[in-house]
Amino acid sequence: MSVKAAKWVFWLGTLSSLVLFLVLTVDTHSQFAVLTHTDKLDDTVVAGKRAFQNHNCNDCHTILGFGGYYAPDLTRAYSRLGEDSIRRRLEHPEVAFADSYRKMPRQNLTKPEIDTITAYLQWVSNIENHDWPPQDSSTRWRRSTERMLAAAALSPAAALVEQESCLNCHALGDRGEKKGPRLEYIGTRHNAAWIADYLADPQKLAPGAEMPDYQHLSAGQREMIGEFIAALGAARGGAR
Amino acid sequence: MTHRSQSIAYPYFVVALLLFGLQVVLGLWLATQYFVTVPQSIVDVFPFSTARAMHTNLLVLWLLLGFMGATYYLVPEETGTDIAFPRLAIVQLVLLSLTGVAALVGFLFGWTQGRPLLEIPMPLDFLVVIGALMFLFNVAVTLFRANRWTAVQGALLGGLVFLALLYLIGIPFYRNLAVDWYYWWWVIHLWVEGAFELVAASMTAFLLIKLTGVERKVVEKWLYVELGLFLFTGIAGTGHHYYWLGAPEYWLWVGGIFSALEPFPILLMVVDTWRDVKHRTQPMLPRLTWVYLVGGVIIHFVGAGLFGMAHTLPQVNYYTHGSQVTVSHGHLAFFGAYALLNLTFFYLAVPRLKGIKDGVYDERGGHAGFWLMSLGVIGMSLAFAVAGVLQSYLERYQGQPYMVAQQPIRLWMAIAAAHGVLVVAGVFVTIWHLLTLKAAPPASARIVAGPASAS
Repeated sequence: MSVKAAKWVFWLGTLSSLVLFLVLTVDTHSQFAVLTHTDKLDDTVVAGKRAFQNHNCNDCHTILGFGGYYAPDLTRAYSRLGEDSIRRRLEHPEVAFADSYRKMPRQNLTKPEIDTITAYLQWVSNIENHDWPPQDSSTRWRRSTERMLAAAALSPAAALVEQESCLNCHALGDRGEKKGPRLEYIGTRHNAAWIADYLADPQKLAPGAEMPDYQHLSAGQREMIGEFIAALGAARGGAR
Repeated sequence: MTHRSQSIAYPYFVVALLLFGLQVVLGLWLATQYFVTVPQSIVDVFPFSTARAMHTNLLVLWLLLGFMGATYYLVPEETGTDIAFPRLAIVQLVLLSLTGVAALVGFLFGWTQGRPLLEIPMPLDFLVVIGALMFLFNVAVTLFRANRWTAVQGALLGGLVFLALLYLIGIPFYRNLAVDWYYWWWVIHLWVEGAFELVAASMTAFLLIKLTGVERKVVEKWLYVELGLFLFTGIAGTGHHYYWLGAPEYWLWVGGIFSALEPFPILLMVVDTWRDVKHRTQPMLPRLTWVYLVGGVIIHFVGAGLFGMAHTLPQVNYYTHGSQVTVSHGHLAFFGAYALLNLTFFYLAVPRLKGIKDGVYDERGGHAGFWLMSLGVIGMSLAFAVAGVLQSYLERYQGQPYMVAQQPIRLWMAIAAAHGVLVVAGVFVTIWHLLTLKAAPPASARIVAGPASAS
């Protein structure tokens, strides 16, 4: 190869790649509004982003998969944990993670900071990013719904979940609300006995939680619900 | 050393080395937190996030100071003139060092911009920009006055200007998180796979010319080809970071295809180095410098090329993105591509700056430093890789919650930390060796029979 040819390789390679990159950048910008729902990106959300940065959350947690790998990804934290659980973690991490082998530093957040960070995480959870991360993939959640609907006919526990309106606060599959953690998430973290105990007296196991107690159910019914939710966890997994 | 003003490089190297030492100590502390439960009282005062901000910013700062020192050493020899304003170069070093110290102390007290790797708060950003402008001004005036252009200088100046411009993009606050990350990668990716590669390729070419004595024309010709391929794959390859941040789907194609090609320019660099070493006209002395040169190129290829390739395709990255797999790749790639390159340059320049005859220094101790460091980083990266594969399978594929899936990973993080101890030991030996470099004892000096070193 001559020096002249080598110079051609340099300029052609660099410029062709640069032109492609810049053209796609312009096009990407024109699509961000739709993909990230900028109509919902109001000042509260932006204030949440500022608070999130001020407390350097991103050097322990990843968000959209970027940042520190020391703590769970926050892209879909809102649809996984729900609003109440997020607030509890932000207010008193030393209580929420008292039993954890990894701690979260106390942030001493103000009430408005907690409000805006929660709003920010809600906005982030709706970014359309090809269904990443896989552990919170909505395709997966949809399959959970199908399983529950299939089980409801056979399982009195599924009927109890419906009867007690658990989904007025919790998500299950693509149904339910995002106030408490989604039931699949609880199922992967806790066994049936723990869940039954929790239903009897939530304050004992999670002080400050907004979850009501289910003393009006029999111990046997609470155990059935526990088994149902624990089974949701075991049934997860597999590809997208 | 052929010019007096080259001696400016030495204080740059000293500061860079000290920061490097602090960086690896913090790294060891970070790894420890993955397998030991740190009590709440310590976490509240010195959380993982603060230590991580320090670890990464120290890396960036010491590499940049190393590059800048190398530039001040290289430019006079390439142009045949002294640096235009030697005093300004010292002022610049003091300014950047103080800014760095202010940033590190600031992190301890929660003064941060809160964006990974770009945590430095905005007022300090402006000091960095002033430092960078002093540097570019000094180098540019020197080059234009001399008006003797070589490809090595062109690539170096181009890379440095590119680097400084990209830094500006990282300064503002972005309202939209997706847009924020989009441009965050213009700094991070286009630095390490663009501007840094230009600087590194230019420094490597200079090292090859000086060490092997191979004809400049040959080295520079391949420098053009390498750079063309680096930038062709690297610029559009930024797309491999745009898969999951809320950008259009075509980035899966663009990122996947271009980054699949990214190992080739690095492979070419390995082949070029190998060929030049084979055709050397100078003796392989001191041996340690050559060990660094060749070792760096090989680990660069494995860490950046192969480990990067392993998780760059969207089908794989869907499961590995943001896991310890990234950590594994990041450590080996940075170590091979930039840490070892800087150290290789220090081993070329420091003996000459100290006036050691023919640059033949006493190698004892240096080899131990190299092998402790390199084997430590390789072992650490392999342990991170196992942890990352476990995490991808348990958390991402099976759907276990994060903390449940982290439990079996703790063992592998402990293994990584054990290798980290080797790294810290190796880095300290290397720093000590470089800062106390002496002429080789007469016995080994007698072996120098061939043509003396060029500078």
